Amino acid sequence: MAIKTFTTGEVLTASDTNTYLANSGLVYVKQQTVGSAVSSVTVSSAFSTDYDNYRIVISGVTGTVNNDTFLMSMTGSSGSTYKSTSFYLVYNSASYNGVAFATSTSFRIGWTNNSNDMNYALDLLGPFAARPTFFKCDGANSTIVFQNGGEDTSSSSCTGFTLTPSSGTISGGTIYVYGYRKS
Amino acid sequence: MTRPLIQIDDELREMTEEEYEALLATGWTLEGSDDLAH
Repeated sequence: MAIKTFTTGEVLTASDTNTYLANSGLVYVKQQTVGSAVSSVTVSSAFSTDYDNYRIVISGVTGTVNNDTFLMSMTGSSGSTYKSTSFYLVYNSASYNGVAFATSTSFRIGWTNNSNDMNYALDLLGPFAARPTFFKCDGANSTIVFQNGGEDTSSSSCTGFTLTPSSGTISGGTIYVYGYRKS
Repeated sequence: MTRPLIQIDDELREMTEEEYEALLATGWTLEGSDDLAH
């Protein structure tokens, strides 16, 4: 039941209520609070056959290093199969900058920041399916606005992910995982 | 030197020597560099 129009005076049943709660566009899967001064944080059992595609929202994280890359590796895909690129804009500058990364063992999803929160909204396409996984991540911090994207060419089925700053540690904030409802 | 902490879901612990060596092999450093032109 994707859409139903209710009429004035109609009884809203428990069945309808439960159906529409379950039929939201984005469905909450899990969340993880980031600890203090960790060099990486792994979120396990995030992906399954329940959803094909996911939205991951990361907010309120603070790094110890400014303007270094923030990495995401997929649980189950450990080879040098990750391609990433980045575009970013510096506040009060008209320059649109691009960065090409060498293929490596993790996605470059964005940039670290040590003076303000690190914030990311990331779409992950097909992580659990036995085919390549794609991502697109938008983010902003006190220095830049950026958009990163990439492909993991491995056909591994992945059940979770690990976030790692390229240098330093991260503290605080929350990682939310949502699934895009299929039907 | 104390090895960095690693977090797996809600579990926080110090990295093992093997995990720390693997992290260093990626080029990770504690200090890093403030450089958008990677």
